[in-house]
Amino acid sequence: MSGLFGTLSIALSGLSVSQQEMATTSNNVANASTPGYTREVTDIAAGDPVEVGSLSLGTGVVLEKIESLRDPMLQIQINQATQQNSSLNASLTQLQQIQTQFASSTSGIGADIGNFFNSLQQLSPDPTSLTLRQSVLTAADTLATDFNAAASSLQTQQSNLDQNVVQSVSQVNSLTSQIASVDQQIGNLQSTDQDPGTLVDTQNNLIQQLSALIDVQVIPSGQGITLATSNGTTLVSGSQSFALTTQSGSGGMQHVMAGTEDITSSLTGGSLAGLIQVRDQEIPSIGSSLDQLAAGLATNLNAANAMGTDLEDPPIQGGNIFTTPPVGGVGAAATMTVTMTDPSLIAASSDGTTGSNGNLANLSAVADTPLANGQTPIDSYSNLVAQVGSAASNTSADADSSNLILQQLNDEEGSVSGVSLNEEAANLIQYQTAYQSAAKVVSTINLMLLDAVNLGMDAAEE
Amino acid sequence: MRVNPNPMPDLLAALNQTQLEEQQAELQISTGKSVNEPSDNPTAAALLVENNDRATFTSGYLQSIGAVQGQLSTASSTLSSITTALQQAISLGVEAGGGTLSASDQDGIANQLQSIQSQLVSLANTAYEGNYVFAGTKTSTAPYVVDAASPSGVDYVGNTDVNEVSIGNGYKIAANQPGSQLFSAPGNDVFLAIDNLIQAVQTNTGIGTAVNAVSAANSYLSTQTVFYGNATDQTQSQTTYLNAAQLQIAQQQNTLGGVDMAAAASNLTQAQTDSQAALAAIGKLSQNNLFDYLT
Repeated sequence: MSGLFGTLSIALSGLSVSQQEMATTSNNVANASTPGYTREVTDIAAGDPVEVGSLSLGTGVVLEKIESLRDPMLQIQINQATQQNSSLNASLTQLQQIQTQFASSTSGIGADIGNFFNSLQQLSPDPTSLTLRQSVLTAADTLATDFNAAASSLQTQQSNLDQNVVQSVSQVNSLTSQIASVDQQIGNLQSTDQDPGTLVDTQNNLIQQLSALIDVQVIPSGQGITLATSNGTTLVSGSQSFALTTQSGSGGMQHVMAGTEDITSSLTGGSLAGLIQVRDQEIPSIGSSLDQLAAGLATNLNAANAMGTDLEDPPIQGGNIFTTPPVGGVGAAATMTVTMTDPSLIAASSDGTTGSNGNLANLSAVADTPLANGQTPIDSYSNLVAQVGSAASNTSADADSSNLILQQLNDEEGSVSGVSLNEEAANLIQYQTAYQSAAKVVSTINLMLLDAVNLGMDAAEE
Repeated sequence: MRVNPNPMPDLLAALNQTQLEEQQAELQISTGKSVNEPSDNPTAAALLVENNDRATFTSGYLQSIGAVQGQLSTASSTLSSITTALQQAISLGVEAGGGTLSASDQDGIANQLQSIQSQLVSLANTAYEGNYVFAGTKTSTAPYVVDAASPSGVDYVGNTDVNEVSIGNGYKIAANQPGSQLFSAPGNDVFLAIDNLIQAVQTNTGIGTAVNAVSAANSYLSTQTVFYGNATDQTQSQTTYLNAAQLQIAQQQNTLGGVDMAAAASNLTQAQTDSQAALAAIGKLSQNNLFDYLT
C-alpha cells in the first residue's frame, strides 16, 4: 500500500542512496593518488516490490554494497613480476658498481700486467741498468697495488651487501608483522559482516612491498591470509607472522634463517635474492678469478726469478719478487705485495755474470705461461672483464624486460582499479541530479501533504 | 575497454628511458668511446684489454730496438775504427818489409805499431752506456787486459756468451758479439797478429809473413761485421713491421671501442627529441578533467 508517506519513504531512500554514492565518489576522489588504493563502486538495486492485489508497487532503492574493484589474478602476477624485477634491479645496481673497476683497458690490472712485462722487455737490452731494474719493481708494485685495490673494493661491496641483507630481513619482518596485524583487523570486520575494502588494499600494498624484498606467494586459505616463500617457509599465517633472523654463517656472511633452517640460498625473488646472488655468487667468483691471477703471476714470477742470478757481487740466486701467495690462492689479490726492495736483486742473468739477460727471457715467458685455469695472465684478465661485463649486460637486459612487464601489469591493474577523475565527476553529476530529483519529490510530497491537511481545514471553514 | 586513468608512471618511465639514452649518447660523444664500461659490449671490452696489451708490447719492442740499435751501432763503428787501424798497421808492415828503411826508421814503425796495438786494446774495450760491448755478458769489466806474458800481449777476460733481445713476438736477435769471437778467434787472432808483426819489425825477420797474418785477421774481422749489417737490417725491417702493426692495433682499437660520431650525434638528437616529447606529454597531462567543467 503506498500512500503519500510511503512515497515519501521511497523518496528518502533515493536521498539516502545518493548520499552514500556521493560519499563513495568523494572517497575515490580523495584517494585518487593514494598508493594501492582500489576504486570503490556502489552497487544499488531497486527495493523489493510490494504486491497489492494485482499491483506490484516499488519500494525505492537500496544500497546493496560498496565494492572495491580489483582483479586478484592480476595482483598475483604483479607480485610475481615485482619479485623478479626487484631481484634483477638489486643485482644490476651491484654489478654495475663492480664493473667500474674493470672499465678501463688502458689502466688497471690489465694494463699493469702489460706494463710489468714491458718493463722486463726494456731491461733486456741493458740488464745492469739500475734505473730500468727500478722500473720493473715499480711496475710490479703498481700491479700489486691495483690487485689490492680491486680485492678491497670487492670486499667492501660484499660487506655492504651483507649489511643490506640484514636490513632487508628486518624490513621483511616489519612488513610481515604489519600484514598479520591488518589480517586480524580484516578478520574482525568480516566477522561482523562489514566491508574490509580499504584494509584489503592496505594489505595488498604491503604484500607488494614485501614482494619487492623476498619471493612470497599468497596461499589461499579459509581463514585469513597465508604467505610463504617459494621454498615453503611460512611468513604469515592469518594474524600471526613468523620473523626471519640472520645469523653469521660461512665466509663470515649473514645467513637468512627461518627458525633453524638456513634459507639463504633458496630465496629466488625480491631484492634479497638479488643481493644474496651478488654477495654469494658474483663477488666470490670475480674475487677468486683475481686471486688465481694474482697467485699465478706471483708464483710463476718468483719461480722464474729463482732460475737466474742477480746483480750482487758475487751474484746469488734470485729470491722472491712477490711475497709467496697464500696456499690455494685464497686472498692472494688482497695480500699481493712486492717483497723485493733492492732492484739489483732481480735475477736477470742466466750465466752467473751480471751482464747476462738470459733469465729475463724466463721472467718474460710468464706472460705466455698458462695459469691454473689454462689461460695466460692477460687472457685470464680479459676473460674476467668479459665475465663481469656480460653479467651486468645480461642482467640489465633482463631488468629492462622485467620493467616493461611490470609496467604493463601495473597498467592493467590501473585500468581495473585506478580512480578516474572523469568517471568520478560524471558520477558526481549523476548523483547530484538524483539527489536533487529525490529532494524535489520530497518537497512535492510535502506540498501534497500540506494540501491534504489543508483540505480538511478548508472544508471546516467553508 | 577502460584505460588506466593514471598514465604518469608510464610517462615517467619513458622519460627516464629517453634521459638514459641521452646520457649514453652524451657519454659516447664526450669520451669518443662506445665501450665505456664492460657491459656496453663485454666481448669488445675483453678484446680491448688484449688490444692494449699488444699495443704496450709493440711500443715496447720499438723501444728495445732503439736501445739495441745504440749498442749495435757503437760496436759496428768501433769495428770500422779497428779495421782502419789494422789497415794502417798493414801498410806500416809493408813499408817496414820493403828492406829500404834505416834501423831507426824501422824502430819508428815498431813504435807506431805499438801505439796501434794500444789503440786496438782501447777500442776492443769500448763501452756503451757503461757496458763493455765486446765482453760477452761480462759487460761490467773491460774484456782485454794487457799481459806481456801472453803470446798476444793481451788476455781476454770476457766470456763467450751472447745476450738476445726480443724485437717482436718470439723474434729474438743477438745484441752483441763477444771479443773472443771477433778479435781472439784461433787462427785469426788480431792481437796475436799485431804482436807478431811488432816483433817481426823489431827483429826485421819474417815481416812479410806477419803482415799476411794481420791481413788475414783483418779479412776475418770484415766477415764478422756482416753480423752488424744483418742485425741493423733486421731491426729496420722489424721497425717498419711494428709501426704498421701499431697502426693496425690502433685501427682495431677504434673499431672495437671507438664511437661513430655521426651516429652518436644523431642518437643524441633523437633522444633529446624523445625526451622533449615525454616532457611535453607530462606537462599536458591531466591539465583538464571533467571537474574543471562543473559549475
